[in-house]
Amino acid sequence: MAWEVAVYNLLSVLVYPGIIFLVALALFYQWVDRRFFAKLQNRYGPIYTGPGGVLQPLADLIKLLAKEDIEPAAVDKPLFKAVPILLLTLTLTALFMIPITGPSALVWFEGDLIFIIFILSLIAILAFLGGWGSTNMFSTIGGMRAALQSLGYEVPMAVSFIGPAIMAGSLSISKIVEWQSSTAGYWTILLNPLGFGIVIVAFLAELERIPFDIPEAETEIVAGWQTEFSGRKLALIRLTFDLELILASGLIAALYLGGPTGPIPLIPGIVWYIIKTLIIVLIFANLRALFARFRIDQMVSGSWKYLVPLAIVQIVILELLLR
Amino acid sequence: MSETTFTVPVGPQHPALKEPENLMISVDGERVVDVKIRLGYVHRGGEKAFEARNYTQGLYLVERICGICAMAHQLCYANNIEALLGVTVPRRADYIRTIIAELERIHSHLLWVGVAGHEIGWDTLFMYTWRDREVVLDLMELATGNRVTHATNAIGGVRRDLTPEMISQISKGMRHLEERVKYYASMIPKERTIMKRAVGVGILKPQDAVALCAVGPTLRASGIKRDVRRDDPYSAYDEIPFEVVTHDGCDVAARVMVRVGELFESIKIANYALEHLPSGPVRVRVPINVPAGENVSLVEAPRGEDIHYCKSNGTDKPERYKVRAPTLANWASVATMLKGGYVADIPIALAAIDPCMSCTDRMTFTDVSSNKMWHWTIEDLRRHSAKWHGK
Repeated sequence: MAWEVAVYNLLSVLVYPGIIFLVALALFYQWVDRRFFAKLQNRYGPIYTGPGGVLQPLADLIKLLAKEDIEPAAVDKPLFKAVPILLLTLTLTALFMIPITGPSALVWFEGDLIFIIFILSLIAILAFLGGWGSTNMFSTIGGMRAALQSLGYEVPMAVSFIGPAIMAGSLSISKIVEWQSSTAGYWTILLNPLGFGIVIVAFLAELERIPFDIPEAETEIVAGWQTEFSGRKLALIRLTFDLELILASGLIAALYLGGPTGPIPLIPGIVWYIIKTLIIVLIFANLRALFARFRIDQMVSGSWKYLVPLAIVQIVILELLLR
Repeated sequence: MSETTFTVPVGPQHPALKEPENLMISVDGERVVDVKIRLGYVHRGGEKAFEARNYTQGLYLVERICGICAMAHQLCYANNIEALLGVTVPRRADYIRTIIAELERIHSHLLWVGVAGHEIGWDTLFMYTWRDREVVLDLMELATGNRVTHATNAIGGVRRDLTPEMISQISKGMRHLEERVKYYASMIPKERTIMKRAVGVGILKPQDAVALCAVGPTLRASGIKRDVRRDDPYSAYDEIPFEVVTHDGCDVAARVMVRVGELFESIKIANYALEHLPSGPVRVRVPINVPAGENVSLVEAPRGEDIHYCKSNGTDKPERYKVRAPTLANWASVATMLKGGYVADIPIALAAIDPCMSCTDRMTFTDVSSNKMWHWTIEDLRRHSAKWHGK
């Protein structure tokens, strides 16, 4: 029955829990994020398109896809064309390694946590390349800021990921989730509260959200490294950010909150997954409303002064507790 | 310009500036090395237009210089023409003018606090202060019939009297706003992300502020106690007690605190004026023709000292009308504030003077090499355009 397995695998990748499901979820979370952010700011947010405005992100995406795609004469054409596509595909690749419906992900192998860290670095580098290839003053500054910012958040994030890996004794995200749901295990956030906080802050920077929206700071450098992108390319970049949001929330849920498993049996994994990731998305949206934007020098020095030592302290404490 | 620097244009179209002005900023990485300011994108020929209109029409033209300080400009104009006519305005009208001018200051400063939040990426503050600003806009609509460009003043008084209901409504609104401003005043100095972006940014030393002729909150935030309302009182300010708020921080944070302090003072002034509103008429009739003469009048607009000059020639139209809006006086200090700072600090340092471009624009040519300065008349412009297109 090889062809049945092949069809099943293809459907898993394309439909559920693959690309179509992920894109739908990403657009839904964008709506949740916008509505919650608007409520905190005493506004309404999207309310007209679809029930409660839930279709607004889809409408925005379709609108951008249909718009004219302008390629300025001075841009580095191959780079400029490749960046949005690479961004989207890399993010989707990373998402296949996040457990969504059950303890194990679509794709998993020993060491996929390291691979995810690698992809997250690549995304930051692509932002820099996108800005550089645009050959626009604002884009160049935005791209440089994106690269500088990644120097700030990547190290504390990677160090914090060690915590759950030590506890589960594995470098695979799926294995870490399995360990947390097994009888011997418990949610790793119990011993890693500091690591959880650091990862939230680091992902705020990865997602270029306030207070770390420095690479696209609207009032300073227009749209940062995205300034020259328009039409389809911009649509793909925007979609990437939405997918990155579920990547971030899914990864945090998997590493610290037990992923798509829960204490009550019979409730399917996907429900747990959505509950947990929604909580994380709401945390992100809440933080977004609370702060003003940092300057790039403040962000990088703050990260090395506070986040990196705290992440190391967390690992030391964890080692002492587990001994 | 050395090889390590490159130039970033801020404006004429830029999200940080809602109005078209151009700053050519030379940067070395994230550091600002040099700033060149170019004005003139929204020159509207206002001063010339005054010469073609009679004094009453000018009253409505003058408040269109600026949508936010409409009252300040109109008050300055009315004071100017009344001085030339030798008319004394009824006391009640003076008080009503003071009340509306202070409401406008509250509106302008709340707007500014929100914009400052937006410039450093904190839109939540923007949404909150602009919601509270609606209260004061509604009060102005109640008192004058319009949210902006109120057209409150007439030459010789005000157009509309305040009824007892209006007075009670306005004091109710003032109580609400006082609560809100107290909240902002306690929250802003404690909010660390704001302070991180505002303290030590856009430094303007007191001696520089004086040398570069800074005005208004920008000057007062450098610790210099100068306010037209106190130094050269007009309307009812000579009878109303108030403090001139200053701060010696010389940076953006100081400018925020000065404006928040002024919000309290404005609420105090408006309340005092409402309580001590004298009875009597609100307007006297004035002749149409203004006797020949010259006069300069000063008004403390929300953004600083507003200067109007009028030369009359005995007819119903001015021979020359000249406006020096506060933003023009503050431009020179902007370059000093930006130099040596970060690119990220440009928007907030620029916003800290509360710029109003269209108030400012002039058609003056300056040849830096020979230090020559000249103006173009409409004829010169026409000749230039014919030559330009004819080539």
